[in-house]
Amino acid sequence: MKTWMMKLFGRRPPGGMSCHQVGEVLQQYLDGHIDADRARRIEEHLEECRRCGMEADTYERIKATLAARRPEVPAESVDRLREFGERLARGEEPTPP
Amino acid sequence: MSESVEGDGAFERHVLPEIEVLLRVANSLTRNHAEAEDLVQDTLVRAYRAIDGFDGRHPRAWLLTILRNTHINRNRRRRPELLRDPDAVEGRMISDASDERTDAGIDDEIDVEIVRALGSLDDPFRRVVELVDIDGLTYAEAAEVLDVPVGTVMSRLHRARSRIRDRLDEVGFAPRSHM
Repeated sequence: MKTWMMKLFGRRPPGGMSCHQVGEVLQQYLDGHIDADRARRIEEHLEECRRCGMEADTYERIKATLAARRPEVPAESVDRLREFGERLARGEEPTPP
Repeated sequence: MSESVEGDGAFERHVLPEIEVLLRVANSLTRNHAEAEDLVQDTLVRAYRAIDGFDGRHPRAWLLTILRNTHINRNRRRRPELLRDPDAVEGRMISDASDERTDAGIDDEIDVEIVRALGSLDDPFRRVVELVDIDGLTYAEAAEVLDVPVGTVMSRLHRARSRIRDRLDEVGFAPRSHM
């Protein structure tokens, strides 16, 4: 919410944060890299401010699309490497996977 | 194995559980599965040799640092023509995105635009998105892999996602930013 609007309406911005302030930390919030108190205030802002809420939805969508592209790690590769590591740990000369 | 700072079994306790993450990140770094497996193997050997001095704190970050250094050393030894070609990578990602166009529906169109936008980012920006959003690393872990401060990871990630978001705006899939 713009400062002039807050002055005009005498209203506290949602969550006690302006849209600009939310925008600066929105991605840290979406990544879960923000303290609980600020996260709660941002949440409050996003619930009341439609435009910031839509902005957050867009970034959530970007993150979800990219996370869905996380490639499967072949289980046989992990098994081979684990066996390699276990042989190392036993002090054996491991065969290459 | 000689006794480490962490005592017996430190390698099994700290290193073996991280193999899957190491392989995932190695895949991102090399874009080649066989090469990624070799890279993780070399990383395990180096970790085994260094485990005596490891204090047991943040094993994933410690291993990602070893992985990154091993990757750099392996690339130094390679012929220049075998080094990763960013254009080829971008082409691959755009090609992947184009393949998805065969699926109908607006959701798919948004996905295609997101992947296309990712492919068009400059390498430092694309890599940080891949490590955090695709591979699921934390900011600190991505910073270890890229050998940059956490603040740099955050600013690159922010800018990269903003560019992807702007691309969605250009094609009418995102609201105009007001922040």
